[in-house]
Amino acid sequence: MKYAFFPGCAVHASAKEYGMSCKAISKVLGIELIEIPEWNCCGSIDAIYAHNPVLSISLSARNLSLAEKMGTDVITLCSACFFTLSRANKLMHEDPKLKGQVDNVLGNLKLNYNGEIKVRHFLDVLLNDVGLEKISENVKVPLKELRVAPYYGCLLVRPPEIANFDEPEHPTSMDKLMEVLGATNVNYLDKTRCCGASLIVTKERIALEMTKNLLLTAKNAEADCIVTACPMCHFNLDAMQKDVESTFDVDINLPVLYITQVIGIAFGLNVKELGLNRNCVSPMKLLSKLKI
Amino acid sequence: MPREQLRIGVYICHCGGNISDTVDVERVREHIAKLKNVEIAKTYEYVCSNPGQEMIRNDIKKHKLNRIIIAACSPRMHLDTFRQTIETAGLNPYLLEITNLREQCSWVHDDKENATIKATALIHGAVERARNLEPLKPDFLPVKKEVLVIGGGIAGIMTSIELADKGFNVYLVEKEPTIGGHMAQLSKTFPTLDCSQCILTPKMVYVSRHPNIKIFDMAEPISLEGSPGNYKVLIRVKPRFVDKTSCTSCGECAKICPVKKPSKFEEGLLQEKAIYLPFKQAIPNAYVIDKDHCLFLNKGVCRLCERVCKGKAIDFEQKEDIIELNVGAIVVCTGYKQLNVSPFTQYSYGLHPDIITNLQFERLMLQGIHRPSNGKPPRKVAFVLCVGSRSNSDGCAAHCCKIGCMNAIKHSLLLEKAIPDADPWIFYTDVRAHGKGYEEFYSKAREHNVKFIRGRVAEVIPNGDNILVRAEDTLLGMTVEEEFDLVVLSPALLPNTDTSKLAQMLGIDLGPNGFLLERHHKLRPVDSKREGIFMAGCALGPKDIRETTMEAMSTASKVATFLAKGKVTLSPEVAYVLPKKCDGCGVCVEHCPAKAIQIVSSKATIDAISCLGCGVCVPKCPKEAIDLKNCTNEQLMAQIRGVCEENGAAPKIIAFLEKTTAYGSADLAGQSRRSYISNVRIVGVPSTGRVGIKHLLYAFAAGADGIILIEGDDSPFTEEKLREHMIQLKKELGKFGVKSLRLVSTTTTLPQYEKVVNLFETFTERISKIGPIPKEKRAEIMKKLKLEGGSQS
Amino acid sequence: MKPKQFQKIVSEVRDQSFTEEVQKLRGGENILDCIQCGVCSGSCPARFAMDFSPMQIIKMIHLGMRDQVLSSSTIWICASCYTCATRCPRGIDIPMFMSALKNIAIKNGFASDDEIKPKFHKSFTEIIRKYGRMHEPELKMKLMRKSDLRELYQNAVLAFRLWRKGKVKLLAPRMDQLSHISEIFEDLLEKQEEEASK
Ligand SMILES: Cc1cc2nc3c(=O)[nH]c(=O)nc-3n(C[C@H](O)[C@H](O)[C@H](O)COP(=O)(O)OP(=O)(O)OC[C@H]3O[C@@H](n4cnc5c(N)ncnc54)[C@H](O)[C@@H]3O)c2cc1C
Ligand code: SF4
Ligand code: SF4
Ligand code: SF4
Ligand code: SF4
Repeated sequence: MKYAFFPGCAVHASAKEYGMSCKAISKVLGIELIEIPEWNCCGSIDAIYAHNPVLSISLSARNLSLAEKMGTDVITLCSACFFTLSRANKLMHEDPKLKGQVDNVLGNLKLNYNGEIKVRHFLDVLLNDVGLEKISENVKVPLKELRVAPYYGCLLVRPPEIANFDEPEHPTSMDKLMEVLGATNVNYLDKTRCCGASLIVTKERIALEMTKNLLLTAKNAEADCIVTACPMCHFNLDAMQKDVESTFDVDINLPVLYITQVIGIAFGLNVKELGLNRNCVSPMKLLSKLKI
Repeated sequence: MPREQLRIGVYICHCGGNISDTVDVERVREHIAKLKNVEIAKTYEYVCSNPGQEMIRNDIKKHKLNRIIIAACSPRMHLDTFRQTIETAGLNPYLLEITNLREQCSWVHDDKENATIKATALIHGAVERARNLEPLKPDFLPVKKEVLVIGGGIAGIMTSIELADKGFNVYLVEKEPTIGGHMAQLSKTFPTLDCSQCILTPKMVYVSRHPNIKIFDMAEPISLEGSPGNYKVLIRVKPRFVDKTSCTSCGECAKICPVKKPSKFEEGLLQEKAIYLPFKQAIPNAYVIDKDHCLFLNKGVCRLCERVCKGKAIDFEQKEDIIELNVGAIVVCTGYKQLNVSPFTQYSYGLHPDIITNLQFERLMLQGIHRPSNGKPPRKVAFVLCVGSRSNSDGCAAHCCKIGCMNAIKHSLLLEKAIPDADPWIFYTDVRAHGKGYEEFYSKAREHNVKFIRGRVAEVIPNGDNILVRAEDTLLGMTVEEEFDLVVLSPALLPNTDTSKLAQMLGIDLGPNGFLLERHHKLRPVDSKREGIFMAGCALGPKDIRETTMEAMSTASKVATFLAKGKVTLSPEVAYVLPKKCDGCGVCVEHCPAKAIQIVSSKATIDAISCLGCGVCVPKCPKEAIDLKNCTNEQLMAQIRGVCEENGAAPKIIAFLEKTTAYGSADLAGQSRRSYISNVRIVGVPSTGRVGIKHLLYAFAAGADGIILIEGDDSPFTEEKLREHMIQLKKELGKFGVKSLRLVSTTTTLPQYEKVVNLFETFTERISKIGPIPKEKRAEIMKKLKLEGGSQS
Repeated sequence: MKPKQFQKIVSEVRDQSFTEEVQKLRGGENILDCIQCGVCSGSCPARFAMDFSPMQIIKMIHLGMRDQVLSSSTIWICASCYTCATRCPRGIDIPMFMSALKNIAIKNGFASDDEIKPKFHKSFTEIIRKYGRMHEPELKMKLMRKSDLRELYQNAVLAFRLWRKGKVKLLAPRMDQLSHISEIFEDLLEKQEEEASK
């Protein structure tokens, strides 16, 4: 299993542990992720797109054309990159005029894009290419005691014409993975309710309120941790958790783990290797509950 | 047969200025009066008025006229009127020709000079055609007095009763083991709150006892042949495995049957055995074995029911049966089905036992209202309207379910009555309360403090034992997030399963939302496009019981009128074979869209009953052995010659329009006063497939510079066939050195007159650029045509 | 530009050309299809913070209430989460046209002074142009209101927390083919600006 890998800006900066844990479990599962050399910003959901859609799509297209040269589909870890690259792919497919404009830009860089590859999220690969069976075979430490709240958020599962490996309202892909690892999924509302990550810089207070609601529902469902598959969600839920607590004067202290970290734990991988020390809300208590 | 002396009368109508303001009718009259055989040419203020008709009748008698031409409004308006006029004066009605001076001339042209010349040309064409008209007599066929009613819901039941009471024999075919349809499942009915079964079951019993009605249950029609008044239908009857006459419905069999399955009648809320009675008052009132669940029928073991049945009613030997019915008319009452809500996952249907549909709620009311999850009475209940209705998303319905709003109000009131502290909330998009007594019913709900939230529900989420509903109260601009004990969804109503298959088999049309299509939305609301096939109830679109019943009654009346005539009139405008010329090659057979032609002892024979009169076969015959009555080759050629005669605006374009839809579309352009260039002269034909290469060449020889063919998009001469026809025609034109660019075709629906007019204009422009056909060329074509076998003209 | 107060009489604030303008935007093509059902508003997780619901914004577009739409907080609060569009019974791509409306609002000076989103868009774009990838500390610096001491302090606390967890990458990202990025921007951004200035 070999793929062109688009890490995205966050994974190179604030979400290093996502990339680390992803690499670690990929090794166990025999997934080969080859980073697209000289990749650039995915194109942004809104910041560049709102101002100049063709510019945003051209930025996406450059990445896609580099990946196409590698002859495989593109894998992303970030829901936002997943959306942006897929949107560009879809729009270029549907709108020949746009495709022409982008072709011109790429042409100047001596690149071209035939539109033959797909953009996929790593979660999709885990579920549909690797398969639950293979993952369960590698479980060394079943997460028997662990109560998890899988959090899907927005663009991982929506809109259905772009994100189509799971179901937009009642997604199950992470739940299924958690079950295979032996964990218990808690029943909580709003698995797919947006956490407001895209507003965290510009409308902090609003984003924090959205995040708070989510954290509290998960906590009230007695989850030991939240599991996510997106660095944006993770930043909001984990790094900003302290701010949520101080802004609204609530006590939450709920660890937020990347799905790749949780899988890594079950595979018996080393805490450092999975970057667990980098999570802002410390997962150490949780690990000790698992006797790690 | 030696021809009588021709004496033609021409009447040109002013139409109170509608025509005469644009067309100089006096000048036209003078010109036409000079034509050969024209005995009389008159103008008149309103030819269609009583004195106008009287004048014609008198002239016929006085001047021994034997051909009449009316140059007035479209034949679609008054063809029948004037046919009657001349018939009462002793003339065969087919010796009449109508020229359309209003919709296709005065109303669409501003240029008076050219409109006047065009009017003259059109009448000239009519005069030429009239010389060749022949008297025709329609044929009659006796009709069968039996009626087939498909579907035994309230629509089918009421139609059957009305017809049977009038003395007709009715076959009522129902695919389920019992009649009754959806109404049998309902608790009380809005807006009167009377009990559904109490009003329905007496009608079911009445049907079952009526000497004129025969019910076929577990039966479906599978094929149709024949023609209006004489249909032959095959019905497939599935085995019930229980003999209806011996079964006393004692239920001993079901007691012992070891297999359980969800009950369809109870909408899956209760279980029943593999041998079951759909419901207590089912008609026929006999048990039935579910073939898919019975142990014996699937695994070959059991037969317990057979052992306990005292009446020896169980019969595993029953086989599927095919029955042939001969009927005069058919009524389709196949009703509706509800949208399957599961794929619309924001409603979480199937994820919590207390999220149900409104039909399930009907059953809960009858079972004693309770929450399916725990059997306890629900207190707070959400009614979620417009689920999958009024939407353009995939798999949803664009239309309104029409009953959802009233039904939710009914359910709220019933709930409050059953549970005093109940708290019903209705989430609506718009409350639709248009029927008799509906607004009052809505008021009553408000008086009972039913909560109305104006906003379509965003999501329904199971939350532990309860269910969370999220919506915006759009009147307040506030979010509503409430927990409920029970959530009731109102799914869209869709045409019943297999409606489209059935429609195809019967040769009737579906509308854009998949329901059956009426002939005319307002004036023929229960007629299908096919004569002798009618419709009623929800098969036509969602509606309540009252409206369904009203439709059933009007349908019954329409059927009775149709059958009471005792005969169907067969149009004499059909194709016929000249056996001497026919060599039985069979080319015509494959082209006939009605499959009306057969080769019998190496000659083509045409079944006049099936023939649609489209004339597609005529130009296809290599031996010119077929012709079409009232649009013979002679008549058509003559008309073309006449129409081409007068010189008006150049270039000269002849448009052959299929005479129902395409011609009607051009009329509509007139009615909308959509003015266009006067170069185009329209000739109505039964279908554009009637127009062969000889007609085209003849038109070019006679002065046309370009030719347009327009077919109605609902014609049996389909777009596909028109395309093939065009390829052929263009190839032939090439052989005669005529540019294929001079011929164009399209299809149209009635309202698409813009498309028609645009084609007129762009094509005329194109021909202007190409330029006229030189005189010598025309002469050359004419010469070749004559050489080729002048038999045609 | 910004109306002082919300007008109470619709006819006084109508500009039908605005409806047509929105119809020409990506996502705005089928805006007239909206049946005002409210599914979008009921779905929206950020609705509580908006002055007008997404449904109301569409109604206002129908009526041509240009100024009110462009000065609403709604268009800046939409988080592009696609909940509404996934459920809209008329297939309207709400976040897509919200995005386009932001752009019109910026161009026409409707974004109010305390609105940092336009600044965010601008800075974001500048950084991508400069490095080809995001450089978060620099973005944060660009957006900080240096006059607000409280904010400065809070940001410092956050930065420290992140830095301790190795989440702050002070070094700017590096791309060898940065010339590609410059070319893309030149091709598209400058051309567009030239056109706009004409
Ligand atoms: C939940 C709910 C509540 C309602 N409550 C009310 C109310 O309170 N008041 C009111 O006025 N209206 C109410 N209605 C509307 C009412 O159900 C309809 O108006 C009525 O049932 C329509 O009758 P129908 O005969 O046209 O169709 P149906 O009842 O659907 O009957 C159609 C019949 O045709 C049979 N059939 C279908 N295809 C074939 C085939 N190919 N061959 C043979 N048989 C076939 C079916 O098996 C069925 O028996 C309600 C509807 C719903 C969904
Ligand atoms: S034979 Fe079939 S219907 Fe009869 S009792 Fe057995 S399972 Fe039931
Ligand atoms: S009847 Fe009422 S519930 Fe049904 S689609 Fe129409 S408005 Fe919606
Ligand atoms: S969900 Fe769609 S149709 Fe309904 S109000 Fe919003 S945009 Fe309009
Ligand atoms: S995309 Fe925007 S408007 Fe739509 S639900 Fe999300 S935040 Fe609200």
